[in-house]
Amino acid sequence: MDCVIELKNVTYSYPLTTVPAIKDLSVKIEKGKFYGVIGENGSGKTTFCALLRGFAPSFYKGDLSGEVLVEGRSTLEYGPGELASKIGFVFQNPFTQISGVKDTVFEEVAYGLENFGVPVDEIEKRVVEVMKLTDIESLAEKNPFDLSGGQMQRVALASVLVIEPEILVIDEPTSQLDPEGTESVFKIISKLKEKKKTVILVEHKIDLIAEYADEVLVFKDGSLVAAGDKQEILSDMSLLEKGVALPQVAILGNTLKEEGVPLKYIPVTEKQAEEVFSELITGKE
Amino acid sequence: MEKTYTEKIQIHKKNKLAGLYPSVKALVVLLYAICCFILSTVKLTEYELALLLIPWFLVIPVLCAASGAFNKCLKAFRAVSIVALVIFLAQSLLIPGGETVLKLGFLKVREQGLRTAITLSFMVMDIAGIFVWMFQTTENKEFSRALENSGMNYKATYVFISTLQMIEILGKNSKTIMNAQRARGVETEGNVIVRMKAFFPSLVPLVLGAVISSEERVLTLEARGFDVACEKTHLFNLEKSGIEKQVTFIAVLITIVLLVWRIYLWIA
Ligand SMILES: Nc1ncnc2c1ncn2[C@@H]1O[C@H](COP(=O)(O)OP(=O)(O)OP(=O)(O)O)[C@@H](O)[C@H]1O
Ligand SMILES: [Mg+2]
Repeated sequence: MDCVIELKNVTYSYPLTTVPAIKDLSVKIEKGKFYGVIGENGSGKTTFCALLRGFAPSFYKGDLSGEVLVEGRSTLEYGPGELASKIGFVFQNPFTQISGVKDTVFEEVAYGLENFGVPVDEIEKRVVEVMKLTDIESLAEKNPFDLSGGQMQRVALASVLVIEPEILVIDEPTSQLDPEGTESVFKIISKLKEKKKTVILVEHKIDLIAEYADEVLVFKDGSLVAAGDKQEILSDMSLLEKGVALPQVAILGNTLKEEGVPLKYIPVTEKQAEEVFSELITGKE
Repeated sequence: MEKTYTEKIQIHKKNKLAGLYPSVKALVVLLYAICCFILSTVKLTEYELALLLIPWFLVIPVLCAASGAFNKCLKAFRAVSIVALVIFLAQSLLIPGGETVLKLGFLKVREQGLRTAITLSFMVMDIAGIFVWMFQTTENKEFSRALENSGMNYKATYVFISTLQMIEILGKNSKTIMNAQRARGVETEGNVIVRMKAFFPSLVPLVLGAVISSEERVLTLEARGFDVACEKTHLFNLEKSGIEKQVTFIAVLITIVLLVWRIYLWIA
């Protein structure tokens, strides 16, 4: 598989801090995969995202050792604006993701395309499409500053999706959303996979990661403590000690297995659990 | 057929004055201000007061009304008048010098004080007034497009427009914060001292919030391709109202007439 981003022994500290926020991190991000990034508060997830996009160190300054390569080129070598079309970035805080110069949601979402010089007709078409996708068409003529947190979050997501970058880095896009909204955002993001986009998503809601991600990256105190296939990572009980909340079904599966129940494998999603348990029951009959 | 969003965001103004091209409005503002200075040099009565500044102010309500924005401007005028009144009182009562014009108990209005008070306060009224007209009849995106068209740098335009937007948002936020402070038991109503005490703590989150969010906003812009070096697209297009030439002509004419008259007064 193609590797689109690679981190080589990256250690990074913010200015005026003594403890690095990311310690000796090496990881390869492969094209077309959906990565779920998990870890406790302050474990370095947002910093990791900022490194991928080059915001650290170009904006945050601070000390970087090691290398962050996007398509084989160091992020330090990219000029201003060059990464914008390659990597879409949705921030954790929805309230600061409003450009501040547009007075309708439609124009807000269109802003990125205006900056890229996309023709007017195409902008209209793409913005309408993405507003439908993110379910914000009813807000199109509202002022972005008058939206609720959840609505802003959708607008922020739409504003980045509309640019259609190859890689998407999304930091907790559902913190302000209700369960239904969260599920629908995940559905949108998983559709990106069909378009062969690479997605790096930070999210605390482990069940959704279990359902949608391909790979899981687990952070703790600035280090990558586990990385790999979601099935493997999310059924690993030793991660519980590292502060990772595993899916309930995985914990149940592990407990049953320890007690000698012959499970075919440890389920991590509800669907898998259904399959494993029903097989167990029907098998026993 | 259903209108496209691109069509919906365009601004079509029926009123020809309100719909003037922003740079023409700016010219009107500039010429009006120049006329203010010309008029302020004409001293009337034995106390040498710049009284012509007072009728000159009447131009503004007339202009606002003709632009169909009188009610919108009224609120801003109230604020401007209060500032002007404070200036007037402070200047007229505090500046010594010259004969006493008026005696109110122990307060004395001296000649010099009255002179500066009238000039300053009406100058403020006039010039602030004409700006009120311009800002109340023009939307932010019209300004931003006009500034870019005039060749102003993309970044500088952004700063200008986001500042305008920010002022609106700060106004809204300050209300939210005031409410929050009140919920915590801070008095925000009552006499001036009580209000002042409530005012300063409420500024801290306001300013801090603005600073932090502006830092993050830089990244948001970068993520939206603000820095991409290419020809930008504009969904919004400015329209001319059709009377730009006439308005420019009239404004220039009035300025020239006033100037000639002023020079004539000097030499005559
Ligand atoms: N701008 C900054 N300046 C200095 N230190 C920072 C900055 N941003 C984050 N840190 C520190 O870096 C560490 C990692 O923070 P980071 O924001 O990456 O955590 P996170 O995993 O995203 O947490 P959360 O789940 O709360 O979003 C923390 O110790 C934090 O205090
Ligand atoms: Mg974070």
